[in-house]
Amino acid sequence: MSGTYGLYVVRQTGIHRLHPLTKLVYVLVCLLIGWLIPGVWSPYIVLLIGVVPVALIARVLPEVIKNTIKTAIPFAISLIIVQGLFWTGGTIVRQLGPFSLKAEGLLFAIRGTGRIILAVSGFLLLNYTTRSDELMLALSQKGLPNSISYVVLSTLQVIPRFQRKANTILDAQRSRGLETEGSYLIRMRALMPLVVPLLLGSIVDIEERAIALEVRAFSREGAKTSLLVLHDTRFQRAIRWLLMLGAMAVIGWRFYLWLAPRLA
Amino acid sequence: MIRLDRVSYSYPRATSPALNDLSVDIPAGQFCAVIGANGAGKSTLCSALAGFVPHFYRGRLTGTVEVAGIDIAASSLAELAGTVGLVFSNPFNQITGARFSVRDEVAFGLENMGVPRAEMETRIDYILQFAGLAGLAERPPFALSGGQQQRLAIASVLVMRPRVLVLDEPTSQLDPVGSREVFTVLRDLAATDEATVVLAEQKLEWVAAFADRVLVLHEGRLVADGLPGDILASPDLQRYGLEPTRYTRAARAAQAAGLRPEGDTLPVTLEQAAEFFA
Ligand SMILES: Nc1ncnc2c1ncn2[C@@H]1O[C@H](COP(=O)(O)OP(=O)(O)OP(=O)(O)O)[C@@H](O)[C@H]1O
Ligand SMILES: [Mg+2]
Repeated sequence: MSGTYGLYVVRQTGIHRLHPLTKLVYVLVCLLIGWLIPGVWSPYIVLLIGVVPVALIARVLPEVIKNTIKTAIPFAISLIIVQGLFWTGGTIVRQLGPFSLKAEGLLFAIRGTGRIILAVSGFLLLNYTTRSDELMLALSQKGLPNSISYVVLSTLQVIPRFQRKANTILDAQRSRGLETEGSYLIRMRALMPLVVPLLLGSIVDIEERAIALEVRAFSREGAKTSLLVLHDTRFQRAIRWLLMLGAMAVIGWRFYLWLAPRLA
Repeated sequence: MIRLDRVSYSYPRATSPALNDLSVDIPAGQFCAVIGANGAGKSTLCSALAGFVPHFYRGRLTGTVEVAGIDIAASSLAELAGTVGLVFSNPFNQITGARFSVRDEVAFGLENMGVPRAEMETRIDYILQFAGLAGLAERPPFALSGGQQQRLAIASVLVMRPRVLVLDEPTSQLDPVGSREVFTVLRDLAATDEATVVLAEQKLEWVAAFADRVLVLHEGRLVADGLPGDILASPDLQRYGLEPTRYTRAARAAQAAGLRPEGDTLPVTLEQAAEFFA
């Protein structure tokens, strides 16, 4: 994590230089297609032809893979256990003591895992190649309220600070001999005296933060300008429209697939 | 530039007023310090000048507060932003957190006011230079030291070119190094003679060094108003719960011990002390 712009990984690539909306629309359309097209393997196919090559060009593929695995593995394991073993009915592939592994459950878990992997890797690809302030600016220009963009951006910056602060307090408690490792319950107990000052501190600070924002004309009505400049091109605009049309077609087709048997 | 006429104010549910029948005129270009013990009403006065009393804290305000010709009570916070700049003690709370570099942070207020980009650039460059932050322009705001963050807060407000700058104990949460950095910026500001500044401050040695005028608040009332040399050396200071500067204390001790004649003007700055003891 570069720390400065959220997840952004500084690289000089064409993907990094694209307009934030182009990347946002691209990732969303990939997710949509991977989720909507029927078939167990469709999320994986979209992942391979949609996400991986772009991550490769943007030179963030190792980061995407590493953190996708980190995030998706717990989901995948629980999906496989729950769906594979507790699927009611279905073909038994293998008997494991009192449990039986079902083919249908397994396939369902594979598709679910694929969807999660696709969503996580798409989100990471977007955030590794796009500064979050530029993304929010692009969305604000499309009508997203400034207050939402403020909340997202300030949260992104405050979380790492919060973690650092929490770690400092934890370290202090550990050095005072407080148990901070071990079972969940023990750790919760060690954290309790930490949560209160963290939260109370911020509640008191909220008033000051609100005042500071007002001083900076945050609630002023009327046109706003921006120091950041986003570079857009007619080509990218066309691409975005095409992507959205494609997404619309997929939605229509999926809807037709769902509707047809019901009308027959 | 600032006109207070019989201003009284009580916070909601408060039993006694935080400001009590305050009247004062501050002309344009004056650097005016407000001193007083804890709870004297300094912060409340600062809030009233910026409109947060009564528009944010609510409560009951009587009398007139007028800044740059605007009647505060009849105005709104959105309208006052950009006219009155306010800086307070905690530097961390004044950073928006929504901008990722010092430069973008300074731009935040200008963006909200709709200032064109080209003009923003020149104004930001100038103010970063003024606040001694030019070398830190690309740094993340939260990575700065306390003193740097407070200078950033001042720059972020100054860049909006407020008619009046109000500072509420801007160094009370800083270490000595950070405080010195901030006071250096304030001294430069005082030297320009154009800015109208109201500074609530407990560190009287700094007040003595560059304020044009000192107001003393005590339990919400204005109890003294005059030149720093007169006010800070006055024997009344202790009655209002304030400690004279070390220069004044040393001089007074010298008088008490008979080393210096009674009746000499007491020093409030290092230079005056050097003269006094020469
Ligand atoms: N938000 C508030 N709500 C209610 N009462 C308040 C509030 N803020 C201040 N007061 C009260 O108003 C009075 C004046 O307080 P104020 O904060 O203006 O003093 P101050 O001179 O700034 O003191 P300090 O040196 O401690 O900052 C005090 O009696 C205080 O208790
Ligand atoms: Mg105060």
